[in-house]
Amino acid sequence: MTRGVGPEALVRGPGAVRCTTCGDIAESVRVVRADPGAGLALCVDDSGHELTVQTELVGPVAAGEVLLVHAGTALAREA
Amino acid sequence: MRYVQEFRDPGLGRALAAEIRTLAADGRSYKLMEVCGGHTHTIYRYGIDGILPPEVELVHGPGCPVCVLPMGRVDLAVATARMPGVTLACFGDVMRVPGSAGSLLEARSQGADVRIVYSPLDALAIARAEPDREVVFFAIGFETTAPSTALTLRRAQAEELANFTCICNHVLIEPPLRALLDSADVQIDGFIGPGHVATVLGAEPFLFVPREYGRPFVVSGFEPLDVLQSIRMLLEQLREGACTVQNQYGRAVPWAGNPRALAVMDEVFEVRPEFEWRGLGAIPHSALALSGAYADFDAERRFALHAPDVEDPPACQCGEVLKGLIKPWDCRIFGTGCTPERPAGTCMVSPEGACAAYYTYGRHETEREPVA
Repeated sequence: MTRGVGPEALVRGPGAVRCTTCGDIAESVRVVRADPGAGLALCVDDSGHELTVQTELVGPVAAGEVLLVHAGTALAREA
Repeated sequence: MRYVQEFRDPGLGRALAAEIRTLAADGRSYKLMEVCGGHTHTIYRYGIDGILPPEVELVHGPGCPVCVLPMGRVDLAVATARMPGVTLACFGDVMRVPGSAGSLLEARSQGADVRIVYSPLDALAIARAEPDREVVFFAIGFETTAPSTALTLRRAQAEELANFTCICNHVLIEPPLRALLDSADVQIDGFIGPGHVATVLGAEPFLFVPREYGRPFVVSGFEPLDVLQSIRMLLEQLREGACTVQNQYGRAVPWAGNPRALAVMDEVFEVRPEFEWRGLGAIPHSALALSGAYADFDAERRFALHAPDVEDPPACQCGEVLKGLIKPWDCRIFGTGCTPERPAGTCMVSPEGACAAYYTYGRHETEREPVA
């Protein structure tokens, strides 16, 4: 599954639909494949959704690393 | 994913709640503000307010960017979306925010091309795929989101993409905090600080809160145990007479922030002289616009857009809610003239808004005084 554009951009949870961006929410995703030249990485979240993430703010990433992502951009590596 | 379950452990939560009850049993009352809407949501989703002692009151701050968006900016977005040839891309919650002439959702139902995106990068992809459309990204959010917009604009510039622009509504966290602390009618004992803003800014920039205003500040994560631990840390400071910034969210927040994020923000944005905030009025130097180097991507310049001055609905009391002066159920239209299905005020639009959180999780049913 790939997510991005459309209503699936909202995160559904018990009893609520949330907007990850407006709620200032960041989520943990795991890197599947990095494209360092483009500053991008294909990642997968807890639910198995794939998403493309901008990685310039955290430097080079490798498959298996866990990133904290907000609005499609990795803000930090999870320590 | 790792960490999540550990930070929702019920046994640890009960232990933290017991420690908070012990700390609060000194005859004083404590009013703590959670700055971020994400914390508000966690508090009500996990019932944290229900296990706190009555001496600890949580008030909800201005940290939901949807909730502080003035009607004039919504009207600007709607007018842009209705322009021929324009595709307006925005985050999900913005769709239902009411403007004086309706919402973006209503504009879409009337034929405007409005699309929900998860990230600015998705808006850029639309522009690449549809070169005959003018794609305008309605950028919103605090310093957490601004770097994502900045990186996307840098990509657009590198690709010389001519059909991609941005309406920049990014806001800064320090000016509204100062406005709240300078307000004589706001009495807050300590702050649960915005964890994800701090992944970008770091914890250090919040030192002005203890140093200039004498209030403790704890940068907090967003899981229920994070919030409970942050409350405990604040109470410990208040009990001991300490007053400093503590970083509870050390697993994600470096003390000095993310230097790459700060650099790209400096490159792409400049600070606006002032910006209008819902309920708080115009606050100087509180928002970002595109810098001169990115002027070609500024939709407000390219299309000569201007946000009109629009008064909030007179019955709406979002401003008092955002300052923590009243509880959502104290608003005269809460749950009647303003519901999540038909919001009148912005705090009812986003699930991270205080009013929507109270309404969604039924707090008003137990806490409202019965009508005689």
